[in-house]
Amino acid sequence: MQSNEELKLGLLIASIAMLMMAFFVIMFVMYYQKKRFEEEKRISDIEKNYNRMLLDTALNSEETERRRIAQDLHDDIGTMLSLTKLSLNQLSKLVANSGDEKEESIMKKSQSLVEETILHVRRITRDLVPTTLERFGLMEAIEEFIHKLEEDNNLVIAFQSNTEEFPRQGQKLELTLYRIMQELVNNAIKHASCTKIDIVLEIDEEMIGLRVTDNGVGFDPEKIKESNLAGLGLLGIESRLAIVNGTVQYEQPAKGGSSAIARIPVNPASGNKPEPLHPFRRERVNI
Amino acid sequence: MLENYCSYIIRQPVISAPVFLNLLPILLIWRKRAYNDKMFFILFVYLILKFGVDLVMFDLASQRKNSVLYYNLNIPVRYVLTSWMFYYKLDYNAQRKWLMLSWILFVAFSAWDIIHTNPSMGDLYNHKMVLYSTTLESLLMLFWIMLYFYNTMRALKIPNLLTYPFFWICSGFLLYYSSLLFIAPVLHYASKWDQWMDIGSLDYIPYAFETVSLLLFSIGIAQYTGSSYAK
Ligand SMILES: Nc1ncnc2c1ncn2[C@@H]1O[C@H](COP(=O)(O)OP(=O)(O)OP(=O)(O)O)[C@@H](O)[C@H]1O
Ligand SMILES: [Mg+2]
Repeated sequence: MQSNEELKLGLLIASIAMLMMAFFVIMFVMYYQKKRFEEEKRISDIEKNYNRMLLDTALNSEETERRRIAQDLHDDIGTMLSLTKLSLNQLSKLVANSGDEKEESIMKKSQSLVEETILHVRRITRDLVPTTLERFGLMEAIEEFIHKLEEDNNLVIAFQSNTEEFPRQGQKLELTLYRIMQELVNNAIKHASCTKIDIVLEIDEEMIGLRVTDNGVGFDPEKIKESNLAGLGLLGIESRLAIVNGTVQYEQPAKGGSSAIARIPVNPASGNKPEPLHPFRRERVNI
Repeated sequence: MLENYCSYIIRQPVISAPVFLNLLPILLIWRKRAYNDKMFFILFVYLILKFGVDLVMFDLASQRKNSVLYYNLNIPVRYVLTSWMFYYKLDYNAQRKWLMLSWILFVAFSAWDIIHTNPSMGDLYNHKMVLYSTTLESLLMLFWIMLYFYNTMRALKIPNLLTYPFFWICSGFLLYYSSLLFIAPVLHYASKWDQWMDIGSLDYIPYAFETVSLLLFSIGIAQYTGSSYAK
């Protein structure tokens, strides 16, 4: 009987130990799983942030590089051209005195070529760095952009906005919207063979919407993405938007053409004064 | 007859509870139409069979007849059905092959065990409970459960275990077989019809945990939504 009691006790203890172990296993599986998932999520978050940062830096360095090129064009070539123009003016006086018809006409031609080159350089620098955007804001910049385009093409570009005074946004956001608008309009001119482009800028408490509509041939963005046709343009739009939490949507209106809508959450310009226009201006060294 | 039942229930509430609690997961599977899923279908068959066997044993026990034969015959069937559920949940083909092999070996072994413990098969009155099969069954099942848990932890495919039905079902089995593992070897001696070796309340532990496992099954089945399994 003694051994029977002992056996019972032993069995009881063994069973309880076994059950505790089972319970522990269940708890452990749950805990471990949860832990691993949290870790996984953290890692993917970090990765996402990192990618976004990479993209951001890439775009930022693109902008600063543009600035640098514009700066060099303006400061070096621009100055050279001005000096050339001055020299040519002096030379032209000498030539006028000598009274040779042929020499004089060559002189005139050189002078006008230099004038034209100066204009071109100025235009290129302005295209590279949207100074109007930084100084006067999105509305003015878009208007200026349209104005320039309408001069060289016979196109009708209409621009509407739902406010008179478009509140200034953060510098990055304005630049993003401006570059997107530029790419969309350029695409419409390049691919759509359209006669009319509508640009609509809307803002409410939360979102800014930019809509560019053309009346051209239209396109299917899904097909373009699948078929590797997408150039840098559409991809660039998406990566720019990814940085500012924006979205883009393409539509094909019933009456033909295509329409793109980009939406970005508003981000009003902070109080501190905007970055200097040419942060990379080099110290001029006078020898 | 009803009197017999009632008095048995009152005398042995711990043993009778799981018999009727079987109905809860069965009804839940029926209500949720979970039997469309293969794994749940096996669970469904398993539960119905278990309910049937439990009822027969309950009936015999309440009439004080020897019900051990049914218990013995049920063991291989029970093993095949429970491990069959794992067949659908194991990711690797090699593991499935081993599982199927274990069915054949286990059925053969338990047949041998029944004959070995009961040399005179005709004598139903003195039919004895098998000696090794239940223990082996528990060991095998614990192995498959651990293997499944290990696979789950490695693969990291299930975001939230608490809403994953099979995790509950698995936990139910784990608790049940853990409680059975050490008791099973003595059940043979405890349930000899003539010479009781009284292991007292120890006998109740597996029944109590059968109840717990049935409750866990029910929780698991309640988590079932057709779509979560369709993935
Ligand atoms: N407004 C549009 N109308 C018709 N087709 C368009 C329009 N916009 C884009 N597409 C089509 O989508 C394609 C991808 O445009 P995307 O801007 O990405 O590249 P791209 O303009 O060809 O090159 P990139 O912009 O890099 O100079 C274009 O090749 C064109 O076929
Ligand atoms: Mg383009």
